[in-house]
Amino acid sequence: MPVCALNNMIGVGLFTTGKLQEIEQIANDYDYAYIKAALNFGFLTRKEYVAFLDRSGFPLIDIRAEVIDETYVEQCDLQQLNAYLFLPVRSDGRGTLTVAAADPMDEKLRSTLEIKFNTKVKFVAASDLDITWMVHKLRGEFYVKEAVFSLMRKDPESSGLITFTDPQLLVIFAFIAMAFALLTFSFVNIFIFFNLFFSGIFLFAILFKLYIALKGSRYELHETVTKDEIRAVDNNTLPVYTILLPVYKEDKLIRKLIWNLRSLDYPRGKLDVKLLIEEDDDKTLNAVRDLDFPANFETIVVPFHMPKTKPKACNYGLFFCKGKYLTIYDAEDVPDSDQLKKVVCLFRKLPRDYVVLQGALNYFNKNENLLTRMFTLEYSYWFDYMLPGLQSLDVPIPLGGTSNHFKLDKLIELGGWDPFNVTEDADLGVRVFEKRYKVGVVNSTTLEEANNEPFNWIRQRSRWIKGYMQTTLVHMRNPVKLVGKIGWRGFFGFNFFVGFTPITFLLYPVLLSFFLVYLIFDLESVRVLFPDWVLYVSIFNFVAGNTLMIYLNMLAVFKRRYYELILFAMCNPLYWLMHSIAAYKGLWQLIYKPFYWEKTNHGLTKMSHSAAATAANANQA
Amino acid sequence: MRLSNPQIRIGSLLLVLYYVIAAWLFHRNGFEHTEALFYAEKLKLLFEYKENTLITLGTTFPTTMFIGAVFFSPFGFLFAPIALTIVMMALLFYNMVVDLSSSSLPVKPLLIAIVLLFVLHPMFLYAAVSGRNVAAIMLFFYLLFRSFFQYYRSQTTYYLSMASIYLTCLIFTEINFIWMLLSFFPFVVLISIEGIKVAKGEQVVFQYYQALNNRSLRRKLANRTIALYLILFLLPLGAVYLYRALNAAHAGDPTYFLTSQYANWRVTGTTSLNTILDNMSGHNVGKQTQIVFQVFTMLLSPIFIVALILFRGRLYQLFTVLTPLIFFSIILVDVKYYFTVEYYIIINVIAIAALTFLGQERGSSSFSSGLIVGGAVLSIFAGVYYFSQSNDPEERQYYNVATSPSKWLQPKVNSEVQMLAEYIGSIASDKRPMLIDDASAYGIIAHLPSLSGLVLPVQKSFVTVIENPMLTVHYMCVAKKNNRLHNFTVLNAYNVGIMKDRIGLTPYRVYETENWIIYSIR
Repeated sequence: MPVCALNNMIGVGLFTTGKLQEIEQIANDYDYAYIKAALNFGFLTRKEYVAFLDRSGFPLIDIRAEVIDETYVEQCDLQQLNAYLFLPVRSDGRGTLTVAAADPMDEKLRSTLEIKFNTKVKFVAASDLDITWMVHKLRGEFYVKEAVFSLMRKDPESSGLITFTDPQLLVIFAFIAMAFALLTFSFVNIFIFFNLFFSGIFLFAILFKLYIALKGSRYELHETVTKDEIRAVDNNTLPVYTILLPVYKEDKLIRKLIWNLRSLDYPRGKLDVKLLIEEDDDKTLNAVRDLDFPANFETIVVPFHMPKTKPKACNYGLFFCKGKYLTIYDAEDVPDSDQLKKVVCLFRKLPRDYVVLQGALNYFNKNENLLTRMFTLEYSYWFDYMLPGLQSLDVPIPLGGTSNHFKLDKLIELGGWDPFNVTEDADLGVRVFEKRYKVGVVNSTTLEEANNEPFNWIRQRSRWIKGYMQTTLVHMRNPVKLVGKIGWRGFFGFNFFVGFTPITFLLYPVLLSFFLVYLIFDLESVRVLFPDWVLYVSIFNFVAGNTLMIYLNMLAVFKRRYYELILFAMCNPLYWLMHSIAAYKGLWQLIYKPFYWEKTNHGLTKMSHSAAATAANANQA
Repeated sequence: MRLSNPQIRIGSLLLVLYYVIAAWLFHRNGFEHTEALFYAEKLKLLFEYKENTLITLGTTFPTTMFIGAVFFSPFGFLFAPIALTIVMMALLFYNMVVDLSSSSLPVKPLLIAIVLLFVLHPMFLYAAVSGRNVAAIMLFFYLLFRSFFQYYRSQTTYYLSMASIYLTCLIFTEINFIWMLLSFFPFVVLISIEGIKVAKGEQVVFQYYQALNNRSLRRKLANRTIALYLILFLLPLGAVYLYRALNAAHAGDPTYFLTSQYANWRVTGTTSLNTILDNMSGHNVGKQTQIVFQVFTMLLSPIFIVALILFRGRLYQLFTVLTPLIFFSIILVDVKYYFTVEYYIIINVIAIAALTFLGQERGSSSFSSGLIVGGAVLSIFAGVYYFSQSNDPEERQYYNVATSPSKWLQPKVNSEVQMLAEYIGSIASDKRPMLIDDASAYGIIAHLPSLSGLVLPVQKSFVTVIENPMLTVHYMCVAKKNNRLHNFTVLNAYNVGIMKDRIGLTPYRVYETENWIIYSIR
């Protein structure tokens, strides 16, 4: 039996031998301190533990307020500090080194440190969270720099650090200059040309989406992994699965998060859950500290470094992952309970070149207001129809923000996420394809919280659209090379799906206003710009484009039987106008603040947790 | 028995060859359908006139036939619509035979029945060689119902979307089929109740009772019914709305594509009941009343009765098979013209679809096989009977040619419009132009070697020219009083009389046929 706090807790009846044996197994598998395994795998609450330490004569010190002698810290590797939850504080000058430890009764750690520092060690107790915060702050610099710059170093062509390359700027300015010159030369004809060209693009992009959605709808009821296959899985054969939970100021969602993680059907000891919080996010850290029930995740503190983006946090988290597979969830996500097992089954079935599986996303608060209904329709057609359609066409699939499941070794080989790209997931989907790997779609859903507030929605959407622009600019730096990597079909698929999406949103209000000005005011000067045939084409594009988009949204209700939403699809033109506002905001930010992460506020829904859980159960049924 | 894809393709190609020979025979015996001539003339305008292309291509009701014929125009404007219908029939044959693999019935008798119908059934042959929209109606009708039946099997939305697309194509082939939307109502409602899974295994009435007496289920039922309706109807209704908008903007009349004789053959092509009753020949028109018509169409399609005998499925599937009959009930509410072959032939088409997807053997296998082949043979005879009793003059002409094999290889017979076209081609030139109105003279124009030397309504100058033709043109092509299309054109005998009084027109008759006169006016 190890000599540690947990052992002593058994002695006073606060812990059980059985639990300790489980913890021992986990600690050995992960190379963690016992106390870390106990606190991060749902065996022990922090409050209970702190009370026990206090009673045992180890009151917690505030390690974040202590003066630290960094010469000792520098002798330690961050991985070791993080795994064994200790931090050398300072020497008293008389041959005793004070070390703050989460478990001051851990004799094995004491002897290890005494050998390492060749001095006597005196343990003081400190909160594991504070130790984590300190060790990452003091020793995380190398890792965070790697998280930010590693992709740029390994694969500079795929890094979004440079938003516009010189040739791209040249092309853009040349295009603008040429357009102005031509407009000056022959305003009416060139205006008509642009009008038709862009409205043609608009219609073509929508037709392409409809085509993909129809392709995808063929696989509507196809179950890539069946319930019987899930039942047949032997838990002992399951690999360690890492879940990354990048959060920022999500203190209100921590409790919900734990419940959602608990509902996952996966062996507890094989779930390597990392809560990634930013160094300046004391709110979330304190929320974790204040939990009065056992947490089932490990907290990783991401040291401050610009850009402050989710992909940077995820890249940082990668250094501490233990799993064979990895996925990302947002704090408010409610994944299907069998999602991880499904992914493992599917990875086992698929050829080796499948390195990512994307789960479907949907919303648990779909009926909250018009916006959440529209959002649900959009996500339903996107994940239930478009992604299977893209997969069947074998073109790049822009991954969704969460519930994408990676083979960890391949993710590292790909260089992780691009920290400078604000839709790092979509970008990664393209990079996967470029490296001749494949993205699959798994028949499992994660329910999220639909944005129910218009301004918050615009913030979120402007980031997504900006990210699509960034992704297009990054991968279109050398179109010829891109064709070589992903082929013509992939090239067109990528451009129409990723590149044209922001363009259609940007064009929509322009074309609409020209058209409406003509129809409503019938001004002589505007009439010149709409000769009969142009008007004919414009009306065709306008009516056909909007009808098809409405139709596409209507299709969305069938798979999930959200029939009550079908009439709301009629509001799609208005929803598109909101997209357009977000697109212009995104464009503005692309120029002025390309790496700025427009934070989406979560937890705005008025739906209770139980209602969300009910929605999740209904969804899974 | 299982046919491979290459075998079916070869079969379809042989069918194309057979239809081409048949079309050639009919053509050389003087059978040319006015609808095919209408498309041929529009193709000619599209490709040979630079003026008002949009009016011709866009505002003209963009029927699948016209748009499709554009792709076959390299084969000649006159042959393009016929080539299209032949290809469509071959496509229909191909699809039907491919689908046989998913049938529960023995494939061999079904295949024999299909081959017999495509080769010998006079309606099928007519659809292929006439250049009319019948082939397109058959094709889209089959694809539409096939999509429904596939949806019933797989419950995949894809098939509903495809049904919606085919329905749009069907409506854009023949606008009257828009009324079929109403005839979907019974089975859509029944599918909805099936989908909400209430009182499974019970009678439909009981399921309804349960669904309607529970607030949540009632809401679900209503939502699902609306959803199914919308997904089926949005595209066709949206497309019709779109063309109304385009016509309103471009021609100043939202219904121009339906009501203008320049845009839609239907305007001049259908025979009104009054005309038929005045010049009574044939007996089919007498059956165009409620109930009688449905029974008559079923009797003319014994294979449909066979399909009902061999049907095994749920109530909504039965209602789907009966959709054409419900559709007839709706269009018979206000009958304005004689229903030609397309309304009879769809019964045969749905019969094959029903046999393929919903048929199951009854009694012994040979009994079912005998029923199927026997039904097909009887349908062929019924088809002959239909044409022998048809009230449509062009269908009668087809029948006469088909039933006079002794004349098939006799010297070629030129039609009236062909003779007129030859004459006009010999006299009209840019220096000596001819005024002609394609509202009724489209058949003549379709046969002309070129459009030079003609003044047509599609030209902006037409309105000015017709005010005083003597100033601009040398000839006028005028519809005689007995011409069926006399009232559809401004260049008719009545207006010539008015011109004589008003502007002192002095026309000299230079060529005359049964329906037309060509005047020299200078």
